[in-house]
Amino acid sequence: MKPFAYVRATSVAEAARLLGAGSAAMAGGTDLLGLMKGGIAAPARVVDLTGIDGLRGWSRERGAGLRIGALTPLVDLETSDQLARHLPIVRAALADTATLQLRNAGTVGGNLLQRNRCWYFRDEAIPCWLKGGTRCFASEGENEHHAVIGTARGCNRVAPSDLAPALIAHDARVTLVGARGTRSIALADLYTDPALHSRDEHTIKRGEILTEVHVPEAGLQRRGTYLKAMERKTWSFAVVSVAAAARVRDGKLRNPRIVLGGVAPVPWRVEAAEAEIDGHPFSDELARRAADALLADAAPLAKNGYKVPLAKELVRRALAAIAAA
Amino acid sequence: MKDERGRTRVVRTRNEFEGEVMEQLALVQDEDAEAWPEGAQLGIVGRAHRRVEGAAKVTGRARYTHDVRLPGMLHARILRSPHPRARVRHVDPSRALALPGVRAVLHRFNTPKTAFRGEETIFREEVRFVGDEVAAVAADTEETADAALDLIVVDYEVLPHVVDLEEAIDDAAPRIDEKGNVHDADRHERGDVKKAFASADVVVEGTYRTSTQLHNCLETHGAVAAWDGDQLTVYESTQHVFGVRQGLHAALHLPLGKIRVLCDHMGGGFGSKGGIGKYTVIAALFARELGAPVRCVLDRREENVAAGNRSATLQRVKIAGKDGRITAIAHDSWSNVGQARWVADPTGPTKGLYDVPSILAHAHRVVTNTGSLAAFRAPGYVEGTFALESAIDELADGMGVDPLALRRHHAEGAIDPVSKMRYSLKRLVDCYDIGAAEIGWSRRKRGGLRGSAPGLRRGLGMASQLWSGGGTPPAYATVHLNPDGTAVVRIGTQDIGTGTRTVLAQVCAEELGIDVRDVRVEIGDTDSTYAPISAGSLTVASITPAVRLAAKDAREQLLDVAAGVLEVGRSELRVEGGALVSRGGRTPIAKVFEDLDNYTVIGRGSRSPNPDDLVLKTFGAHFAEVEVDRTTGAVLVERVVAVHDVGRIVNPLTARSQVEGGVIQALGFALSEERVVDKPTGRVLTRSLETYKVPTVRDVPRIVVRFVDVPDTAANNVGAKGLGEPPIIPAAAAVANAVANALGVRIRHLPLTRRRVLDALAAAS
Repeated sequence: MKPFAYVRATSVAEAARLLGAGSAAMAGGTDLLGLMKGGIAAPARVVDLTGIDGLRGWSRERGAGLRIGALTPLVDLETSDQLARHLPIVRAALADTATLQLRNAGTVGGNLLQRNRCWYFRDEAIPCWLKGGTRCFASEGENEHHAVIGTARGCNRVAPSDLAPALIAHDARVTLVGARGTRSIALADLYTDPALHSRDEHTIKRGEILTEVHVPEAGLQRRGTYLKAMERKTWSFAVVSVAAAARVRDGKLRNPRIVLGGVAPVPWRVEAAEAEIDGHPFSDELARRAADALLADAAPLAKNGYKVPLAKELVRRALAAIAAA
Repeated sequence: MKDERGRTRVVRTRNEFEGEVMEQLALVQDEDAEAWPEGAQLGIVGRAHRRVEGAAKVTGRARYTHDVRLPGMLHARILRSPHPRARVRHVDPSRALALPGVRAVLHRFNTPKTAFRGEETIFREEVRFVGDEVAAVAADTEETADAALDLIVVDYEVLPHVVDLEEAIDDAAPRIDEKGNVHDADRHERGDVKKAFASADVVVEGTYRTSTQLHNCLETHGAVAAWDGDQLTVYESTQHVFGVRQGLHAALHLPLGKIRVLCDHMGGGFGSKGGIGKYTVIAALFARELGAPVRCVLDRREENVAAGNRSATLQRVKIAGKDGRITAIAHDSWSNVGQARWVADPTGPTKGLYDVPSILAHAHRVVTNTGSLAAFRAPGYVEGTFALESAIDELADGMGVDPLALRRHHAEGAIDPVSKMRYSLKRLVDCYDIGAAEIGWSRRKRGGLRGSAPGLRRGLGMASQLWSGGGTPPAYATVHLNPDGTAVVRIGTQDIGTGTRTVLAQVCAEELGIDVRDVRVEIGDTDSTYAPISAGSLTVASITPAVRLAAKDAREQLLDVAAGVLEVGRSELRVEGGALVSRGGRTPIAKVFEDLDNYTVIGRGSRSPNPDDLVLKTFGAHFAEVEVDRTTGAVLVERVVAVHDVGRIVNPLTARSQVEGGVIQALGFALSEERVVDKPTGRVLTRSLETYKVPTVRDVPRIVVRFVDVPDTAANNVGAKGLGEPPIIPAAAAVANAVANALGVRIRHLPLTRRRVLDALAAAS
């Protein structure tokens, strides 16, 4: 690990000012530490955000949706029965996220902004495209964990977060605060596609801090579920995960969302797939059609073709679970 | 008081280590005790006893090699090759040496000749895998040493390489060894295989693959070395303190008497810590040069590239059946040994497990530019049992017979088909009976059973286990009595986490007639008497007989003393519960010694040779029940029933723990553990415990442990045999057979990941 300066910010404004070039923001540090020890990140300055007040905890105001502070430890969300009543998908998504130790240290903001787990990206000796190199080593290499869809250019990484698909399925937005002001974007738009030639994984800008997640009232009206396939029973990133949510009435799923993790460089959503089921009497056949539509453009690599039937099956099950609940 | 016991004679003995049988010379130094017979009324041996060091471990007091911190200690880190194959042309350490806190740099141009595993140096001219040692830095802190590694400039001439087993076999691959990449290893032939295949009713052929498994000892490999004048002391996380001493003797040309090796507590080895590592030599060289203790321990990433592994294998098995029996097996195997000079032969079970008339077994060693294999808990046997037992199930399917019934025809023989000698004891059929009843084998149906939900299939599978485990001389112990009636067992063995301390305390207490709490076991020190490596399932069978004899010797001397002090006839006295008991009453041992001050009774014992006309083996059988999700590829192992025939069980609690650990490690091998290497760069991609998937506690099924528990009284005076390796041998094969039963599709490649299951189902439909 390279030597670095450490500063503990006490306000968002101070942190924003400190987060210039060569600086890295740290909340729980569970991802940053691994990146630094692995030689992937070498910030000259680490700006610790944990001294900032007011970014912890969550609140629900009738008519105004649900707000979750970015510094809230994952374990607080997971263990809150009250939150589980308002937004049960969070507990479902966190149940198999990392280990209890990591959920204790890790925060909501950090989870949404974590970097991908591609084993070529995480090897400091591999000059892959995402790290400024010329090509993806996985495309012709050991790619059983890599993306099957949405990889038009350069990078076959997959979105690793469990929380991101779950929150996107409920139309979550995030607040980003920087020296030049505050903006609110859809959580889905926090993730950026290699097809856009961007060698970033997130659209957050230098000097910006993710301060809050907001789930609007409409999102809270949906019933949601999260399913995750791993290579062992727990303590693993998803091979494939699916978050699904919809308003359910009279055997129909309305305004549904289906978001996949582990299959694409970003949390994967296709509106046409959701339209397949929106407002129609739910059936297994319909669920299968939605799953097919969601993965219609899949172009698996040599070793990850299995993810396509696996993702379709999880989508089918998730939709059936919502419809039956 | 001494009788004529002192006379020593030389005999021949048959010893077996990790599948290799050796005729060796042995000394008979003590008259052996009669083995405790079957049904003997023992008060301590055979009863569950918690680990004597358990509290020290769970409270953090137990000191491991990683915990050793000596005054003025320096830290060494190793620079490893980034290339799978390259010639080291030049090393420039000047920038590293200029970094404040850096004390020295070792590399191939400034390091004295240090013999290491058949080579003359620890820093090769040609580095042969990513992670091969190129140089080392000693510094005031580990962080400084680490930072200095980046400052060493090495000029490499990159050479063509190959890392994949099947590519290395291919003629088109770069020849990375002057004698070629593929080397003949063991070959065994009996009967007439050709004829048997020609006249068979059914012949089944399959190609099986297993993946490279990494040990991932919780405590990574490492050593701390310190010199006091010309006396070297090394703390090492090892399965064999005497082996480390021997390795240092060879590498540094030091007299054995000038080397002391210590290992108090140890965080796992699984075969990979059988001797010195290059880190040991590096620590010792730096410590000598710099006049300060030096610590060199590997980090997790190094552990997973350079500390050994279980070879990936490619195995072809052809098996013939006629009239409801197996008539012939041909088994060819190729193992990716990395740069090792030996191979863990996967065909051992094929040769010896079943009494099959015609066998042709041929093992090959394939060298590649990857880290070398190290013995890994039943090396070869785990891989080979998967192929053999899968093939037998495939044959049973082809013949339309029950796979367990088919095995029974070949499991009863009292003669070892390889050596043609009689087994000392064999209760394999008992294992089948116990296991079949426990799992409910009669429910098994060809094509599997319906699962608990739509899309789920349920299956049953089983496999058998053969291993050695008879132990070996030499091993020596002393037991001395303190005047308060407590005893100290001293023996140069080590407890690698299996509970060795506890079983030694039990055997001593049983024989001596005192409480287990009054026995202290001092191990892990080459200044004690010799004991063999804690590997090959030979610890208990090698050292408990010596400890028993030492305790017996101490007890007999104690009786002599007590007879004199108490003025009671010796034959009327016995030792029981820490007291001398006669018709006249009980006298605590401490009372006997009250007026004797510090006169000390010292018992000594040595391990007697193995019988020369019998073969000592362990047997067992595992039965697995699984549920497989055809749509998600998930394999759920619900239950494993593990039955073993390993002679007397000294401590049912630690024995059960051994079996559970073996089954869990086998499940990792069967379902999730796989080293992945990038072929173009030769880099191991699964260096962390994130990507290399060992089972978590949630992956552990119900494990039902049963023992035949009949003492092998011909084997040694305790009647116990080894249990370290048996439980890892058949579990993966049993699970694979259960999965094949559930799905009706055979997957011949471990581990059975979702990918392999879904791909196989897609290919089958």
